[in-house]
Amino acid sequence: MTFFTNAWQTLEKYYPFFLEGVENTLIIAFFSVFFGTLLGILMAMARLSNIKPFKWLATAYIEFFRGTPLMVQLMFIFYGLPMIGVTFPDVPFIENFQRFAAGIVAMSLNSCAYVAEVIRSGIQAVDSGQMEAARSLGFKKSQSMMMVVLPQAIRNILPALGNEFVTVIKESSIVSVIGIADLMYRTNGVKAKNYKTLECLFIAAMIYFVMTFVSSRLIALMERRLRRGRK
Amino acid sequence: MAANEMIQVSNLTKKFGKLTVLDNISTAFRAGEVVSIIGPSGGGKSTFLRCLNLLEVPTSGQILFDGINICDKKTDINLHRQKMGMVFQQFNLFENMNVLRNLTAAPIKIKKTPREEAEQNAFRLLDRVGLRDKAASYPSQLSGGQKQRIAIVRALMMEPEVMLFDEPTSALDPEMIGEVLDVMKALAESGMTMIVVTHEMRFAREVSARTLFLEGGHIEEDKPSHQLFENPESPRLISFLKKVL
Ligand SMILES: Nc1ncnc2c1ncn2[C@@H]1O[C@H](COP(=O)(O)OP(=O)(O)OP(=O)(O)O)[C@@H](O)[C@H]1O
Ligand SMILES: [Mg+2]
Repeated sequence: MTFFTNAWQTLEKYYPFFLEGVENTLIIAFFSVFFGTLLGILMAMARLSNIKPFKWLATAYIEFFRGTPLMVQLMFIFYGLPMIGVTFPDVPFIENFQRFAAGIVAMSLNSCAYVAEVIRSGIQAVDSGQMEAARSLGFKKSQSMMMVVLPQAIRNILPALGNEFVTVIKESSIVSVIGIADLMYRTNGVKAKNYKTLECLFIAAMIYFVMTFVSSRLIALMERRLRRGRK
Repeated sequence: MAANEMIQVSNLTKKFGKLTVLDNISTAFRAGEVVSIIGPSGGGKSTFLRCLNLLEVPTSGQILFDGINICDKKTDINLHRQKMGMVFQQFNLFENMNVLRNLTAAPIKIKKTPREEAEQNAFRLLDRVGLRDKAASYPSQLSGGQKQRIAIVRALMMEPEVMLFDEPTSALDPEMIGEVLDVMKALAESGMTMIVVTHEMRFAREVSARTLFLEGGHIEEDKPSHQLFENPESPRLISFLKKVL
């Protein structure tokens, strides 16, 4: 039982550290999902476009970002880019803006590739007969997409997009390596102070789990709403 | 070219890669004509029909519709598709819309018909196929026969000059085939120009005045239906009819 007592005492004593970590983790995750989704939509459009160069570039991008570790991408952006003269500006009054910017950019670029795939496969899962029927009535391709295909694709896309959000929360723990004070970074900090390694990791795991569990419940709720609204 | 020829197909060829599916086909369809297309699976019937409204782009050849070459890159294909209704084997009703919206979406969005007028037309046509009470249903709540009747009405809502049918009864349970054929028969009697790919030999024989036998990318025989069925000439047609009749 001493384990749980120790864990509780650690939490009581250091909870402001953990809280700050949670806050930064959520900030990183929120912006990464936001930009990742926006870019992902554009990337999916390019991937499905009939314009060959767009299609090729998007495909190459998606394959590359899904085929290399996020850690390498993050390191490349935070350490590599400044070496070739590309730096994020320092913004007054926002502490550590450079680090946050690098973290969010890396996570967004990475997430965008996964979101693009989610959207593409969601669209392609809609029976091609739906598009043909719309075209045969005289709808333009874009009209057919907006009126018939996308509303059906959304149903395939949303659950997978929810998964992606949960994944981003978990994966964001990686930004601790470039010195962003997220939950993982703070956990390591506390660990170094009280040497209660197991307890600290246990606390971090529980907090991550609560965050992902609550998000996935919320997403499931939203999905059900949407479905009910349609039928 | 006779003045009343609505669709004139000349030297139509369609290849998928190396596979030649339609080989230099020429034929014509007159306004008011009801024509059946029969033939073995893989013979190119669907491809031929889909070329007529450019769901497939012909590899070479020419298709004149009301005297306008629709294969020409400069023609507005969306405008021409409005004049050609198409009914698919798999119905392809819009799953995300109820029946009424399935019917009114195209007239309202494309033809700018006022909603009220479009809905009046929809109910008038629904009455004709006996499905007025399904206006608020979604496609997933309908039987196959009901879906296909709705699909026919959806195409009619655009007031097309010609209706293309691609095996409209092939995906239906036997007991539902009759209700769809009845609708098509009534449509034929109303004077609609129809081109029907079908495996229903009775429909070809009794409803359409003319039947084409399409095999291996060629029109093997093209005759008034009663002649084609009573005096088939080509050995291929004879063996095909033996199998299906
Ligand atoms: N998009 C495509 N890509 C490649 N080959 C195709 C394509 N569409 C059709 N084909 C081929 O063209 C040939 C003719 O097909 P089509 O669908 O026109 O035949 P069909 O007469 O309608 O047959 P069925 O009675 O089975 O419907 C077939 O060999 C088919 O495999
Ligand atoms: Mg076919």
